[in-house]
Amino acid sequence: MAQHQVNYLQEGGLPVALTTVDKLVQWGRSNSLWPLTYGLACCAIEMMAAGASRYDFDRFGTIFRASPRQADVMVVAGTLSKKHAQFIKRLYDQMAEPKWVISMGSCANTGGMFNTYATVQGVDRLIPVDIYLPGCAPRPETLQYALMMLQKKIRRQSAFSKAKPKRLV
Amino acid sequence: MQTQTPNRLNPFYENLVFEREDNHMIVNFGPQHPSAHGQLRLILELDGELVIKATPDVGYLHRGMEKMAENMIYNEFLPTTDRMDYIAASSNNYGFALSVEKLLGIEGQIPRRAMVIRMMLLELNRIISHLFWLATHALDVGAMSIFLFCFREREFAMDLMEDYCGARLTHSAIRIGGVPLDLPKGWTDELLAFITKFPNDVKDYEALLTKNRIWKMRLEDVGMLTAKDALNWGCSGPTLRGSGIAWDIRKEEPYELYDEIDFEVPVADRTDSYGRYKLYIAEMYECTKILHQLIPMYHDTKPGIMARVPEYISATKEELMTDNFALMQHFVLVSQGMRPPVGEVYVATESPKGELGYYINSQGDPYPYRLKVRAPSFWHTSLLQQILPGTYLADVVTIIGNLNIVFGEIDR
Amino acid sequence: MRAYTDKQNAQAKAYHSDRFYKSPQLAKDKVSTDEIFSADLKSLEENFEISESYIQKGQMVLFIKPNDIKAVMKHLRDELEYDFLSEMSAIDFLAKSNQFEIFYQMLSIKKRKRLRVKFFIDNGEAVESICDIFNSANWAEREMFDMFGIVANNHPFMKRLLMPDDWEGYPLLKTYPLIGDESAQWYEIDLIFGKEHRAVVGPEIRDTKRVDQKDTTQFARVGSEVPYGTKASNEKTNFSEFQEDGGVPFITRFRKDLQKTLKKRK
Repeated sequence: MAQHQVNYLQEGGLPVALTTVDKLVQWGRSNSLWPLTYGLACCAIEMMAAGASRYDFDRFGTIFRASPRQADVMVVAGTLSKKHAQFIKRLYDQMAEPKWVISMGSCANTGGMFNTYATVQGVDRLIPVDIYLPGCAPRPETLQYALMMLQKKIRRQSAFSKAKPKRLV
Repeated sequence: MQTQTPNRLNPFYENLVFEREDNHMIVNFGPQHPSAHGQLRLILELDGELVIKATPDVGYLHRGMEKMAENMIYNEFLPTTDRMDYIAASSNNYGFALSVEKLLGIEGQIPRRAMVIRMMLLELNRIISHLFWLATHALDVGAMSIFLFCFREREFAMDLMEDYCGARLTHSAIRIGGVPLDLPKGWTDELLAFITKFPNDVKDYEALLTKNRIWKMRLEDVGMLTAKDALNWGCSGPTLRGSGIAWDIRKEEPYELYDEIDFEVPVADRTDSYGRYKLYIAEMYECTKILHQLIPMYHDTKPGIMARVPEYISATKEELMTDNFALMQHFVLVSQGMRPPVGEVYVATESPKGELGYYINSQGDPYPYRLKVRAPSFWHTSLLQQILPGTYLADVVTIIGNLNIVFGEIDR
Repeated sequence: MRAYTDKQNAQAKAYHSDRFYKSPQLAKDKVSTDEIFSADLKSLEENFEISESYIQKGQMVLFIKPNDIKAVMKHLRDELEYDFLSEMSAIDFLAKSNQFEIFYQMLSIKKRKRLRVKFFIDNGEAVESICDIFNSANWAEREMFDMFGIVANNHPFMKRLLMPDDWEGYPLLKTYPLIGDESAQWYEIDLIFGKEHRAVVGPEIRDTKRVDQKDTTQFARVGSEVPYGTKASNEKTNFSEFQEDGGVPFITRFRKDLQKTLKKRK
């Protein structure tokens, strides 16, 4: 897990004073989060099941987009291998602000059960992660819960803050 | 060097020298792409839309499972096998368990009830895998509603798996020596309800796709694979049977109780994707037939779900809680692992994708000395080098979907 | 004294080594017990030198000379109808005898028989590629090269398959540690950010049992366990609502009291 050196008074903890414009803009952003299809391994199957008939993802306003330029949130579902690592950084950089990252499953959080030479031990070594979702593979409802948590987090942020360089682990 | 007279299409550039004159484009079908097959990177050389050369680049999901196996005891490695073919996880578990049982020499001592439960899980996993194949293949080709229909059926099948072992995707439901859990009360009734309803749904999919003009145009004569090529490139499973060779390990080298079950193995004569598609649909019907026969077989068996081999397998939980020797043996087996004989085995089973084989070389240690997994998708992906040149770019997606590849297996 | 690390073998060892227990050998039957296999063996022995042959678990195992492999494969495919190469790889016996053991698993669909061809090569030797006889060996040999460093001569494209092209080391050798050597552990940081970034990111956390006492979110209750039965009076239940307390405009509020649990799935 990442070491959280978070100052709770400034962001994320106590509510920041939000103006109406902030609230409106963030309401719009949170209710139409478009994920980037970043299914890497087994968690991708659960992500697809979350988007399929029973656990419908479309009711959250999410539409899976394949291009990073059109996506808001990157759901990293599956194991990140070292061969693939440079591409995830590249795709994260290609996404436009504002962008968030949900790390889905144990492999994306910390490398999971694959304590080997070829696995990146956690996607947060490379890109900043907003929500960590444990499980192997997490149920589709868990992914939806994570998305709802992300929506809550977005609504607490202020809309026009300058994009601070997000700290990594 | 400029060899043709410049015109509007090929203008003359003063200080540029082109290496090639032939207008071929090299396109990267990158490791992240929307078609749901995982991390395949194809480097395609295109002449307009025609593929001239295709180089698959895999390894983006390599997790080092074979090296992990050399550092883990046999029972510890079993949940890792789930993650290889993650769509039908119990088939991998079963392949591994069967190989270890053959190595230990206890394949004849598995109780009958465990064998029946294993077969039920295997066939249920086959249904799950084929539904997923149909869903993603149709999604790639463009028939997006089939994706939602197939996933709906799949959810019912995964409910059954979840009722049994607690997990939807990564089951670890089949262990070395049998199965860890007996079927819950009422599971067979739910299974019966599912397989009574299921053939009607497959009929619906057939009604949507089989005689559909667009589907036929996309799939017929695409991805032609002759029998000789299929054998030479190591294809197995529906890919091989789609080229006319009737080879199904369940029939030819039967394991478990497949020789007592009456089922047919569909074989297609046409060597293209449409034939393989019809094969998968026919196999789904066959799975329901097998499951229908397994339910009464289950009720005829005596209770008992793990082999009684104290040297290699722990005793049942009731015995562990009451008998001291059983507890001591269990402790040793869990902390150190069992010590199998010295030797090697190669066991192949029919996973939904093809011939899934496990090669285990043991030197008497609790850890395998070498474990190599023969994953069917690995060999099917190497086939892409041969099968893709000469097709159009749209057919590339169809062929990749049709070959039913899953990247956990390829890269391990 | 520093701890002894076995340089020959970086794999995990069993906690307890049984000094006096000798594992039994798997039974090796004579080839004469099976008709088809004896006929095959006879046909092979006429043309090649087979140093050892036996049947183990229903499959015949043959030991041949390394240089004969192409001719043996051709013979197997053309004369003896073993037209399916199931698998091919190597085993690392460098610590024992400085050799690799290469095996080829064959299948004959017509005769329903499986056969394994094996031979030993020394460290540094190469094998002959059989790509022109069996196309499936193309990727199998590449993987063998990637994992062990064993080159296959006359292979059309002898490059790494599963690991990145600039990877150093051959992972499946016994001397290669499971968590990777230094170049492996920093591979992605060096590639993306550069070597200077190593200090910023810090080393990988490979210890699976690591528990952080000063975890800010009380994830692991280390140091704050209480005796069994203590009432959690001061604890605030950290129940997180799905949506904010005031609700979200235009979005239907999730009401737990209106929730209905179905007894039977529809």
